[in-house]
Amino acid sequence: MRTSITFGIVLLVITLFYGVTSAQESPIQTDLKKAFSEKYKGKSYSPYAAREFPNQLLWGDSHLHTGYSFDAGTAGCILTPEDAYRFARGEEVISSFGIPIKLSRPLDWLAVTDHTDNMGFILDLIAGDQTILATPEGRDWHDRLESASKDEKPEIAYDIIKSLMVTKTFPMEIYYGPESAGYKSTWESIVRTAEQYNDPGNFTAIIGYEWTSTGEGNNLHRNVLYRDDASKVLQMLPFTTVEPLGSLDPMELWKWMTRYEERTGGNVLAIAHNGNLSNGLMFPVDAQYTGRKLDELYVSQRAKWEPVYEITQIKGDGEAHPLLSPSDEFADYETWDFGNIVPGNMVVAKEDQMLPREYAREALKNGLVLEDKFGSNPYKMGFMGATDSHTGLATAQEDNFFGKHSGYEPDPNRMNHLFMQSTRGIMMSWGQVAAGLGAVWAKDNTREAIFDAIERKEVYATTGSRMSVRFFGGWDFLESDLRSREPAFAGYQKGVPMGGDLTKAPSGRAPTFMVYALRDPIGGNLDRIQIIKGWMDGNGETHERIYDVAVSDGRQIEANGRCTTPVGNTVDAESASFTNTIGASELATVWRDPDFNPGQKAFYYARVIEIPTPRWTTIDAFRFGIDIPEGAPISTQERAYTSPIWYSPN
Amino acid sequence: MKRRFLFAFICNLTLLNLGGQDIGTPDQETINRLYPGKTYSPWAQRNFPSNVYWGETHLHTGLSLDAGLFGCILTHDEAYRFARGEEVTSSTGLKVKLGRPLDWIVITDHSDNLGLATDIQKGKPNILAEEKGRYWHEGFSKGGEEAGVAAFDLIKSFSQGTIPKQLLEDYSPGSPIYNSVWEYITETADKYNDPGKFTALIGFEWTSVPKGFNLHRNVILRDDKYRAQQVVPLTTQPPLGTTDPMDLYKWLEAYESKTGGQALAISHNGNLSNGWLFPSETTYHGYDVDKDYVEQRAKWEPLYEVTQMKGDGETHPYLSPNDEFADYETWDTGNLDLSELKTNDMLSGEYAREALKTGLVLEKRHGTNPYKFGMVGATDSHTGLTTAEEDNYFGKSVSVEPSPKRMEHPFIKSELGEIPGQSIVASGYQGVWADENTREAIFDAMIRKETYATTGPRIMVRFFGGWDYTDNDLRSRAPAFVGYEKGVPMGGDLRRNTEGKAPTFMVFALRDPIGANLDRIQIIKGWLDKDGQTKERIYDVVVSGDRKIAKDGRCKTPVGSTVDVERATWYNTIGASELMAVWTDPDFNPEEKAFYYARVIEIPTPRWVVYDKVRFGIEIPKGTELTTQERAYTSPIWYKPDSR
Repeated sequence: MRTSITFGIVLLVITLFYGVTSAQESPIQTDLKKAFSEKYKGKSYSPYAAREFPNQLLWGDSHLHTGYSFDAGTAGCILTPEDAYRFARGEEVISSFGIPIKLSRPLDWLAVTDHTDNMGFILDLIAGDQTILATPEGRDWHDRLESASKDEKPEIAYDIIKSLMVTKTFPMEIYYGPESAGYKSTWESIVRTAEQYNDPGNFTAIIGYEWTSTGEGNNLHRNVLYRDDASKVLQMLPFTTVEPLGSLDPMELWKWMTRYEERTGGNVLAIAHNGNLSNGLMFPVDAQYTGRKLDELYVSQRAKWEPVYEITQIKGDGEAHPLLSPSDEFADYETWDFGNIVPGNMVVAKEDQMLPREYAREALKNGLVLEDKFGSNPYKMGFMGATDSHTGLATAQEDNFFGKHSGYEPDPNRMNHLFMQSTRGIMMSWGQVAAGLGAVWAKDNTREAIFDAIERKEVYATTGSRMSVRFFGGWDFLESDLRSREPAFAGYQKGVPMGGDLTKAPSGRAPTFMVYALRDPIGGNLDRIQIIKGWMDGNGETHERIYDVAVSDGRQIEANGRCTTPVGNTVDAESASFTNTIGASELATVWRDPDFNPGQKAFYYARVIEIPTPRWTTIDAFRFGIDIPEGAPISTQERAYTSPIWYSPN
Repeated sequence: MKRRFLFAFICNLTLLNLGGQDIGTPDQETINRLYPGKTYSPWAQRNFPSNVYWGETHLHTGLSLDAGLFGCILTHDEAYRFARGEEVTSSTGLKVKLGRPLDWIVITDHSDNLGLATDIQKGKPNILAEEKGRYWHEGFSKGGEEAGVAAFDLIKSFSQGTIPKQLLEDYSPGSPIYNSVWEYITETADKYNDPGKFTALIGFEWTSVPKGFNLHRNVILRDDKYRAQQVVPLTTQPPLGTTDPMDLYKWLEAYESKTGGQALAISHNGNLSNGWLFPSETTYHGYDVDKDYVEQRAKWEPLYEVTQMKGDGETHPYLSPNDEFADYETWDTGNLDLSELKTNDMLSGEYAREALKTGLVLEKRHGTNPYKFGMVGATDSHTGLTTAEEDNYFGKSVSVEPSPKRMEHPFIKSELGEIPGQSIVASGYQGVWADENTREAIFDAMIRKETYATTGPRIMVRFFGGWDYTDNDLRSRAPAFVGYEKGVPMGGDLRRNTEGKAPTFMVFALRDPIGANLDRIQIIKGWLDKDGQTKERIYDVVVSGDRKIAKDGRCKTPVGSTVDVERATWYNTIGASELMAVWTDPDFNPEEKAFYYARVIEIPTPRWVVYDKVRFGIEIPKGTELTTQERAYTSPIWYKPDSR
């Protein structure tokens, strides 16, 4: 029953024949665009093709330490940037204390930002660098570390730090400052490793460092990120805080950045973090760090070099403080307000008056005032989240959290150590926050595209979850613009994305905002989307207001713009799990500011809030079969903070 | 300043707790026995397949004679670039890009006359050496109407057997030209194969279609070009080729023994075979379904392509009258060329569910189940573009790439009937549970049937069978730990449990992250009763919203629809972002062979025709389905009373 030779094939051909005649009748496929109806916003039939706007959401961490950071190394971190990149791109690695670990999903990009001061010393000490061993102290520390048990190692590390800090017996000939060979080779190794792991289109390794200004224990840290590759980066050494080559003054960092760009033709930016540990110095409104009055130079330099702020990370969330935002039910989120960050457990206590110069929302408001005064807004910043992890491991997910430093890698005791104390109270180590991530809207996964997105503030922060968020502002977004799975077409066509500016309100019109959020594909559903508005009134006073713009489960938003009904809580502490039986898989809305005054400067950003999920401490309790520490919240409502959109009357 | 700079060093010292701190590696003893992870990080040290890799096993390019004749000018380079997420230009000049890249693909051009069409397009010397060849080439070069005339002339030449002999020889296995095309195919696959990032598996389609009865099989190799180039693909044209599947199995056997490599075959479109794809008594080629046949088929065909552009093949409403979801994208007019119309008695030899049932009978009769297959979805697209999403659908062939008229034209037409253009299906893809994105890992997952089909969306589905799953096992975001520990995954086998318990199944589905919410998860059971009769039953095991599952295991309340036809969109205000359940078979008889698979159903979304309507501002022909409830079909888990 064999069939003839060509028969089968001919039938196939005939199968398709009648279709071809249709192609003959409409040969103008290249003119198909003209055939599109007005309803369709795509540029080609394929809505994913020929897009002219940033279409890739790239997840990363702009703040990660490895064993090259002096403090990370002393805490036992032996992971290097190489390990950090391998882990970030999704490979399984072994933590410093021997625990296998892997991310649930790879990151798209990573900036390793080791502290520049004494960078690389500890790992060289452990490795037995000959220069270090040539000093009696170096030999002693090395030998003791080599024979020490796991429990003894931190004691030795503490001795080393004490010799530098307290007894001042640290041999400065082996100190890793910018002129030392050890510092230079460490930096070169960091840069070369980034070059090796940078894989355009697949994984981006951004070169960076942390400039660690902590004068009097007040945190003014900045991470410096480069757009460039080794050929430019290696033309200069990174900036430190140690005089005479370094400085604690941010103005000096910006001068270094200016010099770098002038000399190399490259690009750099700086990202500050942990205003909450600055005791009122992070967002000055009156005097600079040096005591000098704020002036045009300061505000313009800050605006120029610091386009975004690290709003959430392991050492506390920095969006808002309940004292500053008393009507914000979600403001008291992972708040660290004991004091600054001086060495020793006892820190300089926080005073309430410091808070307005520490938190992002207040800074955005003060920025409007300063802009009025000096002509540019120093705090016109977008938002990113990062870990600031000192383990070489960028872990921000509650169920996979490896702690602030290697000493707090998972073990049954890690939640119950004294973390810091001040006259305001005591903080235990369960207060560490499993946060955060930086989300970048870019066209490609490359250094250039990611850096440029940060520059234009088309980025947002999350506390660890990977929700996709689009946020646009314009004058005529309509509900119908949302009637598509692709609101970005109308978003870019009719307005500006997060980080953008609106000016000159058309007469009688209030701005509209289109916001769209998809839950983390493997995470919790969404509770609500809020838009937070800050503005400056005619008397130069600043105000803020929160609007619930989209909520799940059919709850009502009252006439005052708020939904006061909580979403509920499905967290089962015993099994450290939750169910997505409440909340929404996605939320979207178009919102028009009902209280708009075209004569007043304002900013708007979106906050997307997840349903409650188990906090890492609840997960530790479950995994180790121990109790949740007293005072630790059982659940957390993870969130995203978009970069703001600013309105200015002129 | 000295003091200040020293502070900088210890910026994080406060966070150290150095006094006698007990830093230790948590071992299994310190980890709560309730926590299923192997180490603290639940993503590390997994000894089971942890990722779903999306891809498809069935794509044609211009190298396929039919695709090329009708204007497909895309070759393997473009097809791979498109599949891995790059923007390309279609054969009709449209820019096109996938919403998300695929992880892997198998390009399976028809082995007969492989490369002839592209060479006519290009005007290769051996083509131009023939008068007819020159004529066809010139026609194609002119495009438009003249290309159509040339294509028709080529078809006529084929059907009349007047293709120049030299050209037939050139594009048959063994000729230098044919070999060079195979070299191109295998080398290009190796070039785009990028372990860990994107997998390109080598394959071809063996296009057996005697009298229009579709017996096609895609052949997939686990190996690289060094092994693949030791053979040439099997064709269907004598003397080298054959339309008999038993000969294909011989070819596969020969490939493995000659090269030391591995291969498998996947059949498709039983719905166009007029009853011949899943024979129970006699094969099309005239011999009995016997021990040899069932063993060979079971050995070489671990999977079936259950859904694709030419119709969904899970089941048919005639065969499954109690299944409200059975009549899904049904193509039951006739065989592939509509030279013979369909009759109801043919259906049992055409659909997957019925074949799974027939397999139990044949296993009892011959000792081996020939239809013990897992499920895969693929496109069978002839455009070089693997598009299975409704909002980005580039059609079955170049002739039905997006245009205002593509819906109207009959796709297949004969004197007996027609299949209208609007009934082409934007389907499907395959989810593969594997450890890593490599040829070996993906192929091995196919062999063990740890794969599932979807009609396009990327729904993530876990499905396990065992004896001891409890609701407690669902109290975790990582049910797979318990899944593998207590049972077997999709594609696996359950043997008689000595305690006489009924089997339990754990199923967990996450919606497509950018797609639609889920309506429900069903478990479909088929079994062979003591009288030798096969049965099937559908159980709704978890449904979204407040709907109830009645005592009979069914939820008759539809999920509703939010589709806005005028805007070509829908809202995820109904359905669930995820669904999970542990289900125990309430009607289990330990003496009866059975199989169970899960069907996950999305809420209604617009069908591709609605996107065409809105984008082109056109009307949809009457009688066209406007919405679709996309779905996933998992590979089954089989139960067998005996311990063999």
